Amino acid sequence: MKIFKLLFAAFVLTLSSCEKKDPEIPNEEEVITTLIYTLTPSGGGTAVEMKFQDLDGDGGDAPTITTGKLMKNTTYNGTLVLMNELVTPTEDITEELKEEDKDHQFFFSSTISDLLVSYTDQDADGNPIGVETTLTSTNAGSGNLSITLKHKPNKTASGVSTGDISNAGGETDIEITFSIDVE
Amino acid sequence: MLSKKCLLVFVFISSLYNINAQNCNINIKGKLVDELTQKALSYANIYIQETFEGTVSDEQGNFSFKNICAGEYHLVFSHIGCEITKVHLNLYSDTILNIALQHHETALNTVVVNGTKDGLENQTKVFVSRKEIEDNTNENLANIIENESGVSLIKNGSGIAKPVVHGLYGNRLTILNNGIIQSGQQWGNDHSPEIDPFSADKITILKGASAIEYGGGNLGSVVLIEPKHISKEPHLHGQVNYAFESNGNGNNLNARLEQYTPALAWRINGTLKKYGDRRSSRYFLNNTGSEEANISIQLEKSWNNKFFLDFYASTFNTKIGVLKGLHIGNLTDLEEAFLRDEPFFTEEKFSYKIDAPKQHVSHHFTKLKARYYFKEKQNIEFVVAGQLNDRKEFDVRRGGRSEIPALSLLQFTLNTDLKYTKEFEKNWLLKVGNQNIVTDNTNNPETGVLPLIPDYFSWETGIFSSISKKTARANLNFGLRYDFELQNVATISNTKPRKIVRYKNHFHNAAALFAVKVKLTTTQSLIFNTGFAMRNPAINELYSGGLHQGVGGIEEGDINLRTENALKNTLEYLWQPSSKFSLNALVYHQYFKDYIFLKPQEEIRLTIRGAFPVFKYEQTNAQIYGLDLSSRFMFWNSVFGQLKYSYLRGTDLKNKEPLVFMPANSLYGSLAYRVLKPIKISKKIKLDALEFEVNNRFVFKQTNLIAEQDFVAAPAAYNLLGLKVSTNIIFKKYKVRFIAKAENVLNTRYRDYLNRQRYFADDTGISLTLGINFKF
Repeated sequence: MKIFKLLFAAFVLTLSSCEKKDPEIPNEEEVITTLIYTLTPSGGGTAVEMKFQDLDGDGGDAPTITTGKLMKNTTYNGTLVLMNELVTPTEDITEELKEEDKDHQFFFSSTISDLLVSYTDQDADGNPIGVETTLTSTNAGSGNLSITLKHKPNKTASGVSTGDISNAGGETDIEITFSIDVE
Repeated sequence: MLSKKCLLVFVFISSLYNINAQNCNINIKGKLVDELTQKALSYANIYIQETFEGTVSDEQGNFSFKNICAGEYHLVFSHIGCEITKVHLNLYSDTILNIALQHHETALNTVVVNGTKDGLENQTKVFVSRKEIEDNTNENLANIIENESGVSLIKNGSGIAKPVVHGLYGNRLTILNNGIIQSGQQWGNDHSPEIDPFSADKITILKGASAIEYGGGNLGSVVLIEPKHISKEPHLHGQVNYAFESNGNGNNLNARLEQYTPALAWRINGTLKKYGDRRSSRYFLNNTGSEEANISIQLEKSWNNKFFLDFYASTFNTKIGVLKGLHIGNLTDLEEAFLRDEPFFTEEKFSYKIDAPKQHVSHHFTKLKARYYFKEKQNIEFVVAGQLNDRKEFDVRRGGRSEIPALSLLQFTLNTDLKYTKEFEKNWLLKVGNQNIVTDNTNNPETGVLPLIPDYFSWETGIFSSISKKTARANLNFGLRYDFELQNVATISNTKPRKIVRYKNHFHNAAALFAVKVKLTTTQSLIFNTGFAMRNPAINELYSGGLHQGVGGIEEGDINLRTENALKNTLEYLWQPSSKFSLNALVYHQYFKDYIFLKPQEEIRLTIRGAFPVFKYEQTNAQIYGLDLSSRFMFWNSVFGQLKYSYLRGTDLKNKEPLVFMPANSLYGSLAYRVLKPIKISKKIKLDALEFEVNNRFVFKQTNLIAEQDFVAAPAAYNLLGLKVSTNIIFKKYKVRFIAKAENVLNTRYRDYLNRQRYFADDTGISLTLGINFKF
């Protein structure tokens, strides 16, 4: 019986000292924390920057959104930058998209009338990606500008190459809405 | 004392002293009776395996064989509603056999689950026999038990299914594989229990109030998956099962070999499965293939009928594809998916290929059980078991990461079980025991994703004691249980910078059971169970946090959850006026204090991927009540059928609204015709036990819901018609069982409320299965 008691004591001791060791924090290199849409007036002037930043990824602290004012009757050259600021050094996700350009496409839509975004870049198949765009404003007004990134859309479906999202399918990697003013 | 033959209850062999000089003049005479009613069993099939001579018992249950040569034989008995039973016979003179067969389900009350006296006889239960497992080679564990009353399934497409008993599943339902609580399956509606049903001979579903012996947080119901003991058969025996299923072009192969020798009894069982894309009634369900490879080994040894050692080891390995259209990015995608007629990515192309999203799961299990009998009426049993569950889930990911799992969990579990049983005079039985479960759960950081379930270490220890008493009219059972659980959790924060946050919890749980079975008359009995049980919040309920792909929602645990308490009462009425009719009615009610559930929140969380609804684990008071009805009947000795009905209602009492994710009511019926006498096709070929069956499963619409509780309305009621033809083909010296089945014969388009795929796609359409079974 002594042996049993000893064994039992050893068992309990082992269990109570069994602290779960520190988990290894995964390297979250796939996360997109930041999107910056920079609009430079084609005729020169100050660039407008719209930014969505969620430094800790989904959950945790709420994201911060900064937006800008656009001028009416202006053409802007738009450039999108995606970043992962969770990892150090900060990772440029735009590069990753360009490597997989056939699998990605950005879509733009606005509630402001006659505000149009058109693609100025192409993937290897000649279909748009949307990292480089042209934004044209006409009338003044207030409303939203939505930017959506689709992963594995059907780029050949009807209307997709001209920026119509409705037949694109695929999975949404990004969906952000900026409230903007055109003056 | 240790007989495990559950269906062949009693064999009495007597040799008449009439040894024949010629040796081929031996006669066998016998009589078959029903164990319960002691009435003669007519029209049972009996044949000698070695000579394939067959006969049928007459009205009085008598049968005979004449002019058999001396030697060793196996006599095979089969009767409607009975499992096929074999008797080994060393024939050297005229022999009289008296055989009592037990019918399943109709005689639930006397079915022995584990040894002769286990205190479970007073508990409400149903079971599935080996024959049903063999006839369903193409099914997984959960699908095999689906037609039992009170049982339903939570599915995720066609490949993933987990059982639900009386509305409870996951953390609240204990699954015992080989007497050991199956680890790894508790959380996650998209995790099926990783058990090969083919390694089992019987699946029992305890639907009573509290299975005091098992612990593991069960609040009433337990599913037991058990292989039988290796029969004391000196010859090598085995079987091969193969089935082809048209929907998914599925191939299923299973083989089993066993032999008893005084030195060591052994059994080995292996299964291989491969399925491609299944098809709904209108389109392919792309990427829904699956693969499975399992093997198990069972060894048994005994010393002087006093000391018994059983060893069991198994490995279960599967790859399951998840419908491509089920993978969505955010709420907008989800809403778009609801409106579609066909899921995204649907292609009119069949493939065996399994791409992301998919699961790779391995479950390894090993067990050693020792039992020692001090005297005939006193024994001690010790079991030690280890389980390793390795789960990897793959998502469609960016940057070539689809082959890197998005979830990678390794869970190690160590179980010990110590049990002491003593029989006293006047049919008193005492059982005491202790169980320990040590769980070590670790996330592999290879995922590059914050884990949904944190790393943890837990230790559960429990003691129980139960007393039962048997009298001529009643069986009584009373039990108490206490459990202690320690949780040691290491989570990773979801704020920047990431840091490790530790939690240490301990819980005390108690449980009590009172069960009584009263024989009202020789044909009627009542079983009443009342049980109280406590379940502490599980790790996922406390700490899960993150996006749950596929339902497009963020799930959040609550570290302040309290222990859940449940009180369950069941009353079952059994009526078996003859061996041709039985009725079984069960009513149950379960009250929960602090019932833990996922509640949709008003908050919509903004992320870079768009807006997501938030679900949080909350507590309420709730009740679940229901009715299970089942009946078996037989006419003209050749037509037999069954009817099963399940009704269930769950209510959130605090918020005065229905409980979500509760099974819909269902009705199952089957009618079969059996050709009583073997049919001679030619001189050498005979068809034995030819049977035609029509079955139908009707599932009602889940109407006990309010619109705000779900993204889309519950699917409509549906009806699935099935056909089955089975026979034993006897050719020369060989016997092969042949099964042809058609499921969803009318190719009905339907969606099931508990199938998560219902948001995106129809359920599977028509499927034909051809199966053969060869035993030797």
